[in-house]
Amino acid sequence: MADAFIENYASEANIVINIGAQSESQTKDTVLVDIAAAADVYYFADDQTRELVAAGALQPVQNADAVAAANAQGAVDAATVDGTLYAYPAMGGNGYFLYYNSNIISAEQAATWDGILKACNAAGVKATMEMTNAWYSYGFFAGAGYACALSDDGKTTTCDWNAEGGVNVLQAMLDIAANSAYINLTDGEFVSGAKEGTIAAGINGSWNAASIAEAFGDGYATAKLPTFTLNGEQVQMGSFDGYKFVGVNAMSENVGWAMRLAEWLTNEDNQVYLYEATNGAAVPANTNAAASEAVQANPVVAALAAQSQYATAQSLSVGGNYWTPANALGTIVVNGNPDGLELQAILDECVAGITALVE
Amino acid sequence: MQGHSTGKRRSGFLSRFGTAFFDGDIWVKLSVLFWGLGYFRRGQWVKGVLATLFQLVFIYFLLAFALPNLSMVGTLGKTEYASVYNPDTMKNEVNDYDDSFLILLFSVISVTALIAIAVVLMNIIIESYKLEIDMAQGKHINSFREDVKELFDSKFRLTLMFLPTLGIIIFTIIPLIFMIAIAFTNYDQSHMPPTKLFTWVGFENFLSLFRTIAGDGSSQSSAFGYSFVRVLAWTLIWAFFATFTNYFGGIILSLAINNPRTRLKKLWRTLFIIAIAVPQFVTLLLMRNFFGNLSIVNTICSNIGLTGLLQRWGWITTDYIPFMTNAAWTRPMIILINFWIGVPYLMLIATGVLMNVPQDLYESARIDGANKAQSFFKITMPFVFNVTGPYLVTSFIANINNFNVIYLLTNDYFEAGNLTMAAAKATEVDLLITWLYRLTNDYYNYRMASVIGILVFIVCIFFTLLAFNYTLGKGKEETFR
Repeated sequence: MADAFIENYASEANIVINIGAQSESQTKDTVLVDIAAAADVYYFADDQTRELVAAGALQPVQNADAVAAANAQGAVDAATVDGTLYAYPAMGGNGYFLYYNSNIISAEQAATWDGILKACNAAGVKATMEMTNAWYSYGFFAGAGYACALSDDGKTTTCDWNAEGGVNVLQAMLDIAANSAYINLTDGEFVSGAKEGTIAAGINGSWNAASIAEAFGDGYATAKLPTFTLNGEQVQMGSFDGYKFVGVNAMSENVGWAMRLAEWLTNEDNQVYLYEATNGAAVPANTNAAASEAVQANPVVAALAAQSQYATAQSLSVGGNYWTPANALGTIVVNGNPDGLELQAILDECVAGITALVE
Repeated sequence: MQGHSTGKRRSGFLSRFGTAFFDGDIWVKLSVLFWGLGYFRRGQWVKGVLATLFQLVFIYFLLAFALPNLSMVGTLGKTEYASVYNPDTMKNEVNDYDDSFLILLFSVISVTALIAIAVVLMNIIIESYKLEIDMAQGKHINSFREDVKELFDSKFRLTLMFLPTLGIIIFTIIPLIFMIAIAFTNYDQSHMPPTKLFTWVGFENFLSLFRTIAGDGSSQSSAFGYSFVRVLAWTLIWAFFATFTNYFGGIILSLAINNPRTRLKKLWRTLFIIAIAVPQFVTLLLMRNFFGNLSIVNTICSNIGLTGLLQRWGWITTDYIPFMTNAAWTRPMIILINFWIGVPYLMLIATGVLMNVPQDLYESARIDGANKAQSFFKITMPFVFNVTGPYLVTSFIANINNFNVIYLLTNDYFEAGNLTMAAAKATEVDLLITWLYRLTNDYYNYRMASVIGILVFIVCIFFTLLAFNYTLGKGKEETFR
């Protein structure tokens, strides 16, 4: 893509592009170490938008209207801070959904945690979800109607998990975790467990689609997240939705050319190209590209679309202090509340950590 | 006065400078203003020119570098970064902004350089005064060539020490002062240069670390104090066990291998050394996977019924043994894994030491009727302990800062189960050093990281002094022989 860009503008400027490998989830760590020395154009995950903007590392998008019109509304919202569009949406679908093996779990069973766990128990296999990762565990409280939100400073999180009834959600999580068919696994462990045949269902994102499809073989199936039992009723799990953006370094020497490159990298053709090159892992954020038949037929895209009405953009929901306390909550749940703490006390402490002021 | 000129008794540098300045004649006194004057007066022309040149460089340095930075060090800059995009040039137009980071760094360099220059100037005065006296007494005044020759001859130690001293100042002292200074600023994620300014906050960071009761309702600051105590305690427990399990394990292993009845000595030794040859991070990451929730070890434990047994005893509530995910299990596991990777080193060291225990000691002990156990505790252990005492101390300190083992075994896998520690971004298995790494690398909380860094430094110094005092103090080096 970079070569095509150089070719396209060869008449106007002599451009040299050096490309370095960087995981989008850690872009912030690299860029913020030394903004002036960081790359002119970089990919990053949407949750880093505000911190990058706060550090002055993102150049506002110049032709914001055109970029906003071409891409999904959710992606544009997540890239906008205080009314200014700061990044070029490159990929959508950075959310999670349910993978399951339809040879073991029926589509109907896959709709509820109870069904999944029952089917797994019957077959002697396990279902997984990384509850110790706050990114996933968010789904329980969000589904039950408890909310996290960014406060006005754009950094501090507000959270009402410890409000009345919150303990019931926590108890529901504890119940699932205590089921002998449930196991807490990281992404990599889920994939290797699926390959070994010990895992029949798991909540994960599009990036593992290819390896899980291979592991489940003809039983490969996807669905929106299951419902869970809360106070005897079935409640749909919520989720985080995420995007990947291309940003332009505000301290770039040639910021104008950097912006043209960013726009080039995220145009319709290149989003389609990336989608094809990654075998569907890079779901387009561009509305035209996403509407194509090939993309719509993809089971991952279908599951994400079904889940999207219950999803909220992560970057608009939680700030930097959300993660470690919420991870710890998951750890307590997975370990079955080893210290026997009172559930309300756990939630109070957790919320105190989440809502701690980011100075 | 005669003490200085004869050089029999060397008094302090400052008092020598004082004597030189007050007792010296007008030329010496004026040398403070014109650095070369004292040399010119006594006919040392080359040195005079050099001193004058040095003074010019100093004045330039002072005006162009030191003063602009030092004048802003009080606030660490006032003008924040701002830029406007110019569509015509396709570039950003940036204002003349202050960079707190560079101001602080350059100020530290300036202060260090100014102190060094002051020392040089005081030396010039002392030398000028010495020249005055030498001249008055009719002694030989060195030419420049003779001075240079001296530097390679009778004063060669000064020449030798010059580069190391410079290196220590540039690579150790300046960064150290800089880091300490950061602990008194609000340099964190919300105050990241170059686009944001940071400034001095006094002892606020130290206070927030030790403020264990949140009077102001800010749970963040109390969480730091709460976590610090726990992380420190675990750091010390870890360092103790990591050091002594390896130490005694290595000695016992090497005794076993060295036992005359052991066959295939070389094979055993080689096998253990292979464990060293595999890079540590490979071993550690593999270990982490071996003991994961869905790992080979857990499968085995479940198949042989150990998992079920533990469940019945109520030790675990999960369907697997949370070796690497529950603090109560992970802490002992880390110590065990560290034992496994650390013992071969100690085995090698202990083998070397044991081979050097004088055999006649054992012989005379045997003649005196001592049994095996007695000669082990009265001869072997004291000898080994004596020789490896300093090693024990350094390895204890190294274990306090043992980043690799903890980080590689637990990063991205172990999550804190303690909510208050989680609020301070710490976990139950974090050492001070890994917590510090997380704060700087993942959360850019440089100010709190500096505070913790300073405290780690103090902890290490305390234990080093304590331990060296115990192992080497009171002439213990000599007691054995």
